[in-house]
Amino acid sequence: MTLFSDTRYLFVRYLKKLVRNPILLFFSLFQPIIFLLLFTQLFSSFSNLQGFSKATGGASSYLEFATAGILLQNAFGSALQSGTSIVLDLDTGYLQKMLVTPVSRYAILLGRLTSDAFRVVVQSAIIIALAYALGATVVTGVGGILLMLFTVAFFGLAWSGISLAIGLKTRSSETVFAIGGFLTFPLLFMSTALTPKLFMPNWILSVSNFNPISYTVDAARVLMINGYDWATVLKAFGVIGLIAVVTLGATLYLFRKVVS
Amino acid sequence: MADIITVNNLVEVYSDGTKAVNDISFNVKEGEFFGFLGPNGAGKSTTIKILTTLLRKTSGSAIVAGHDLDKEPKDIRKVIGVQSQETAVDGDLTGKENLILQGHFQQLPGAELKQRVNELLKLVELEDAADKRARNYSGGMKKRLDLATALVHRPRLLFLDEPTTGLDPQSRAAIWAYLEKLNKEEGTTIFLTTQYMEEADRLCRQLAIIDFGKIVVSGSPAELKRQVGADSIKLSLENCTKDKPSAKDILSNLEGVTSVIDSEECLTVYAKNAGLIVADIVRAFDNSRIRLSSVSFSSPTLDDIFLQHTGRRIRPEELVKTPSVMLGGRRR
Repeated sequence: MTLFSDTRYLFVRYLKKLVRNPILLFFSLFQPIIFLLLFTQLFSSFSNLQGFSKATGGASSYLEFATAGILLQNAFGSALQSGTSIVLDLDTGYLQKMLVTPVSRYAILLGRLTSDAFRVVVQSAIIIALAYALGATVVTGVGGILLMLFTVAFFGLAWSGISLAIGLKTRSSETVFAIGGFLTFPLLFMSTALTPKLFMPNWILSVSNFNPISYTVDAARVLMINGYDWATVLKAFGVIGLIAVVTLGATLYLFRKVVS
Repeated sequence: MADIITVNNLVEVYSDGTKAVNDISFNVKEGEFFGFLGPNGAGKSTTIKILTTLLRKTSGSAIVAGHDLDKEPKDIRKVIGVQSQETAVDGDLTGKENLILQGHFQQLPGAELKQRVNELLKLVELEDAADKRARNYSGGMKKRLDLATALVHRPRLLFLDEPTTGLDPQSRAAIWAYLEKLNKEEGTTIFLTTQYMEEADRLCRQLAIIDFGKIVVSGSPAELKRQVGADSIKLSLENCTKDKPSAKDILSNLEGVTSVIDSEECLTVYAKNAGLIVADIVRAFDNSRIRLSSVSFSSPTLDDIFLQHTGRRIRPEELVKTPSVMLGGRRR
């Protein structure tokens, strides 16, 4: 079985491609920083609202509240690039070049997914470090931070499945960005990513209760603000797992059609 | 020598109903330098995609390197090397890294791979550029690197889909030299497609001329030229449409003429000895008041063979990059 070694080779290939594209690298690293600074500055006076502490489960500042949301927003953006990269490999003929070799078919997908997850982890670590520098703390410490990173990366993987499936189906990077971009903001704003439930209008609250983003954000947030609330964390894993089964299942199905 | 490729009644019908490959059968012997010559859209690339396990055939059967195409595609992939029409190198990686990654795909062990990569860089004269990103290579360098990546695991059978299309004459000559060396010294069987008759003539010992998904004629270049059996004389008339029928009559009745066919100049005449018969043609036309605008003649070329069988000439076209065309025709 060459699945493991082939995945490793492709993981390295994708990371090299990222590191060697200064513009892509710049945006990968600075986008999360910009998001964090911009959103937390813009909405910083949220914390002056009456009931903020209660609504956020005890956050000391908007920054502390929103860090988990920014982690998710960033994972969203990164996951979109999975789909465009597979379209690029299709367009340049590199995918075909791989397919005429004995390389493991699944490694082509896994290499991509693992490198994307790795990137999200690095970006998330930057966001958390910056949040610390700005005065937020993670109450669960290093263990909690690792669990937060895992949660976000797991979410990123599941979400990569959507862009990969669109990329494989349409073979157009523009479509991946159009559909992905279209989904991002409604899903993000109609979740608990940037706004506490108590501050939401009723209809958005109803959407938010069904929004997988809310579950993921809530898990990262309790780890940051409250402690190891396993019920919330496991609920998030369950929800992400369900999404992953659907999106990665679709990706696998479409990928098999391309490679078989 | 045994056959390394055996193809029987191969058919590929695309989802839109196009018959890209229309019932072809052929075989290639181990160690052969075999070519598919034909114009754009003749079915050359489609055949390569099927034989290299990229595209599923509609019907027919094929055995490649001793393995059935349907049952053992994995075994085939281990022993073939493929250079596709679109140059596929990873521009973000250096030349060397491209070769190493390809070696990993082929499961070459580290020490052997390292040595092989250096060998190949030398072969395709990319040693100086080995550590530069392939993005910055010229078109010719990319093609050479692409060829080298196809060779990394010393394939028994090498598929080359128009390896020199779009290259300048110098780069083309360099590629030709590597390929000849590879075939002669390492005994690698080469299956090449081309729309350049000079290329087919120079490299291939066996040739199939293909048009509209069908093999029109096959044999060695020398055999094929002997089949034409005559020199060709190309005639242009001042008023081709009006005079063509009577000109044809006159020509067919001349002694020594083997055949007369329509061509883009107007008419092409095949005759045993062009030098002698040109004078007869001029005289006969003069008598019938048919005005010639130009006459030229030459020994038979592969193009004449194509013309004789299809009534058209092979017109090489520079490739227009069509992204993702490679898997585009896959049946859904």
